[in-house]
Amino acid sequence: MGIGFPYIAELPAELYRSGLMDFVEVTPEAVCRQRAKGNGVAIEIVPEQMDRARETCAALPMVVHGVELSIGSAHGWNPAYIEMLDRFQTLWPFAWHSEHLGFQTIPGENGAVLEVGVPLPVPPTKEAAAMIGSRAATICSRYGVPFLLENPAYYIADLPSDDEIGDDIGLMKAIMDCSPCRLLLDLHNIYCNAMNHGIDPFAAIDRAPLDRVVEIHVAGGASRDGFWMDGHNSRVPEPVWELLEYTLARAPGVAGVLFEMLDDFAVDLGARAIGEELQRAREIWCRARVN
Amino acid sequence: MSGAGELSMALLDFEIALGNLVRARSTVPLSALHLDAAEISCLESLKTSAGFEFTVGVQRSWCVGRATRAGSFSFSVLSKEQRRQLLDEWVEAGGGTSSFFAAESEALLEFVAGRLPHPSHELTACRFEQATLRANQRSVDFQAPDSGILSAAGCAVSRGRYAAMVEFYGEPSEIVQALVKNEALPPISADTTNMLFGPGLDRLCRVASARETELWQRLTETMPLSDILGEGYHRDDLSPLLREGVVECSASGYRHLS
Repeated sequence: MGIGFPYIAELPAELYRSGLMDFVEVTPEAVCRQRAKGNGVAIEIVPEQMDRARETCAALPMVVHGVELSIGSAHGWNPAYIEMLDRFQTLWPFAWHSEHLGFQTIPGENGAVLEVGVPLPVPPTKEAAAMIGSRAATICSRYGVPFLLENPAYYIADLPSDDEIGDDIGLMKAIMDCSPCRLLLDLHNIYCNAMNHGIDPFAAIDRAPLDRVVEIHVAGGASRDGFWMDGHNSRVPEPVWELLEYTLARAPGVAGVLFEMLDDFAVDLGARAIGEELQRAREIWCRARVN
Repeated sequence: MSGAGELSMALLDFEIALGNLVRARSTVPLSALHLDAAEISCLESLKTSAGFEFTVGVQRSWCVGRATRAGSFSFSVLSKEQRRQLLDEWVEAGGGTSSFFAAESEALLEFVAGRLPHPSHELTACRFEQATLRANQRSVDFQAPDSGILSAAGCAVSRGRYAAMVEFYGEPSEIVQALVKNEALPPISADTTNMLFGPGLDRLCRVASARETELWQRLTETMPLSDILGEGYHRDDLSPLLREGVVECSASGYRHLS
């Protein structure tokens, strides 16, 4: 599709009609609210917010990027997210949808579900790969469009692992090996992990299943307490642009590159600077398509 | 599993252990998690790593952010020091983890209310925010129940799940205006006004009459309608409260028409 940007309600609608982007990525929570339902929670689409998003994004192709599925939770994923996504697809069909590879809920007492408060990395094991691969396959057949998993940024080093899997890249590869799901390669997350754990980002990209990459995220972050943080709160660092150039030359099936940014920071950064980042992404995209 | 800690525990056990460690900021003894010695050793080494500390720091800042949003009005009328102390206490107690805004707000504001002086305008602000969010949550699709239930056999009456009564120590509009504009608050008055909140109310709230206040205070638990009528109340007292969602009624075998 080309170059994309997230739907952010607080930004001027003109940005989405400026020709700077070819597709828009919607996080369903931006048009939803949660409500108590029995002992659990229902995620409901708010019609006014959905209408506003559709009007803003006009004719742009749309993809979904979820944050609430918790596909790596061994006790079970979030059924409320699936129910919401069923309805979302009937209202606003998406070209593909994606989720983060991680877990953010654990079982509590008496059947309760506890939220950890932050997504945590799944240990790279055969058990995790089989469980997530099976869930990804279920999702692929449920929605009939590509389902992508995003490689995470993580700060805890040396998670327990199985030798056959190795690390987060190995886990992603093992999941792709046993399911039809695709990869959302977040290059800023690769950059974070490289900065924080001393790995070679180019080697990590080489080991990733590049033939399964459908979408790429680029973003910025910040240094804090000795770590490079995946904050989505700045412009894209130069090394991440280099990783984009490198990846696009090696991943033949990439359909879109998205500049990812948190709502508050996007408003602070402003439409002009956002436009410059989108233009930079487009130049790299066009060079790669020509070569 | 193998790797850094030669861990052999199942995925579920590992996630429970790591998730609890992050939630509880390392204060949960690993011995309480039913792990064997090798597993405890692996998690002990994770727990003392810089990456774990950083993850806990990120989790904490996300929790503070969620809590700040969930109680924004109440916090806006408190001093910076009060705000920081209450947020710290809440997050230390495990709050701020819920991505479910309504649940986070309800629990946070209950926690905050329990730590504010009574009587105080700050407490009123907290209860006002809690009541507004609670009623608003249900207002979008609230349908007034059929008041015919008040004639059903075995009818029982309770406070509405999305309703509240808030006590103002003075004229409500003056107090709310001062709170919103961050202006000097009027002195605490002994002449109080009670406001009822319900999902079926226009603007979600209105002043409660003395009789409604008595009834609300009487309904600390579900009561048979016959007992309420026996205390001198009439169905006509209850009917508007039912339509406004301030009270709810149930009766076995009764089917609501709307």
